[in-house]
Amino acid sequence: MQGSTRRVGAMTDVHRRFLQLLMTHGVLEEWEVRRLQNHCYKVHDRNATVDKLEDFISNINSVLESLYIEIKKGATEDDGRPIYALVNLATTSISKMASDFAENELDLFRKALELIVDSETGFASSTNILNLVDQLKGKKMRKKEAEQVLQKFVQSKWLIEKEGEFTLHGRAILEMEQFIRESYPDAVKICNICHSLLIQGQSCETCGIRMHLPCVAKYFQSTSEPRCPHCNDYWPHDIPEVFDPEKEREAGISRSSRKSLRTRQH
Amino acid sequence: MRSKAWFVFARTPPPMPPPPPPTPRGRLVQTTPNRPVLPVTGASLRRLVMLQKPRSRSRPGAQPGSGSDRDLGASGEVPSGPGRPDASQGSAGALSPSSRPAQATPAPELRTQKQLELKVAELVQFLLIKDQRKIPIKRTGILKHVIRDYKDIFPDLLKLAAERLHYVFGYKLVELEPKSNAYILINTLEPVEEDAEMRGDQGTPTTGLLMIILGLIFMNGQSIPETEVWDFLRRLGVYPTKKHSVFGDPKKLITEDFVRQRYLESRRIPHTDPVDCELQWGPRANLETSKMKVLKFVAKVHNQDPKNWPTQYCEALADEQSRVGPEPSDPVAAS
Repeated sequence: MQGSTRRVGAMTDVHRRFLQLLMTHGVLEEWEVRRLQNHCYKVHDRNATVDKLEDFISNINSVLESLYIEIKKGATEDDGRPIYALVNLATTSISKMASDFAENELDLFRKALELIVDSETGFASSTNILNLVDQLKGKKMRKKEAEQVLQKFVQSKWLIEKEGEFTLHGRAILEMEQFIRESYPDAVKICNICHSLLIQGQSCETCGIRMHLPCVAKYFQSTSEPRCPHCNDYWPHDIPEVFDPEKEREAGISRSSRKSLRTRQH
Repeated sequence: MRSKAWFVFARTPPPMPPPPPPTPRGRLVQTTPNRPVLPVTGASLRRLVMLQKPRSRSRPGAQPGSGSDRDLGASGEVPSGPGRPDASQGSAGALSPSSRPAQATPAPELRTQKQLELKVAELVQFLLIKDQRKIPIKRTGILKHVIRDYKDIFPDLLKLAAERLHYVFGYKLVELEPKSNAYILINTLEPVEEDAEMRGDQGTPTTGLLMIILGLIFMNGQSIPETEVWDFLRRLGVYPTKKHSVFGDPKKLITEDFVRQRYLESRRIPHTDPVDCELQWGPRANLETSKMKVLKFVAKVHNQDPKNWPTQYCEALADEQSRVGPEPSDPVAAS
């Protein structure tokens, strides 16, 4: 499929500032990305019409391609909000974290990752992860320490914690999907609708196919009787709502004043 | 002559470049086979591919003529052959095919364009990550962790990486000091106040403190004893022995971190007891900011015109003139 060589766009200072600032975040939600884009236009090219975000990003990506980096768009697995991260395409390891964490911390993450991928629910319990602390490479780590390391992962948006259990943050999925698919080909779960890596989702109790929650929401949006796309059996789960950025913005006016862009993350 | 009452930090635009974030560096494995090679680097890479010579004999492959003192230094692996390349063969920049005679059989070390592209990508990411720490990147580190067996074309790879860093990210790769074999990234974009709200990291807070110290040094002449710096900072609630809510350990920050990052230089003042050190601007400070910028910062803090300090103003002007002249040692100065 060598066909189309994508036309390379041109970088201007608007794009460069955008990239520089984007790089200071691990992952951003779409509204934050728009805000960043508007800021960069304001600084460099006040009078220009702001490009459509999709085109803007696509333009930058065409230039980044030769560097094996990409601004990748994804969605959070729990409520389908669009997120963006700058992802390295050339490595197939979790080396992006390598500069921020020690060897034993990286290994702890690897162990947690494996448990999460293997699990049925996409969550690994704190207890199960901590029980593996003895097997870690590098400096010996105590369980107490490991708990703090897990919190570090949550703060830097590699993991999400819910009621003492851990799953992958959307950022980790964006960054590591390829690595995960290659490293755990048997354990890996795929969404029946979008065919991407699936960590959390719903599954058909009859035939076992799985779907992301936002994919379920979209697929069954206007159906009164949801049925499995594969085996046609009645879909036994609650159908979530489709993510609506408008509703978000109304609710989020109070939220964004609490949570500024300067969240603590790597 | 030192200026009087300073006050708490002005919220000034930090002249320091925003530290780039963790970008990945790691073992590169070729991934999808269908990645198109884009023309922007394609041309330079193609030239590089064409110029690869068997490493075992005769002229070194794409090893540029070592005549230019802007070059990055021979990698030390110039193969012994019938004489060294003469300087007229072209500098680090010129990879024109016409300067090379046709060679015989290609060696097994010939690398594909894809491999070269990946190597440049790896180098770019390495430089971005390393610079994030604000520690100058040593050439030996680059060779050891990234270049490895591509040593023979190291200068070209570095030049390509520098081009990409400049074109794509707006960062300029410069050598910290001439012949230091250590590099830093300089932001070619002017930081803007609102950038601080858009950032995802905490890069900025220490910059204010650094600016103040650079200001103290400059307004005092060329250097200032550390004790006088603390005398001043105490008035702002910053103490060498007390943990600070924003700066953490200010003593470590100033005497260790800023020095290691080459923003400051510290020298023992002899015959002082307790030991006192003299602080001066470090090479990175000169590269990332300027006397004029620092003077303007000081002036703004006092709500005055920079010209109200005539000595410093003249010095800053002279510094500006010298900047317009020859570039600070730039290993990949544009052709």
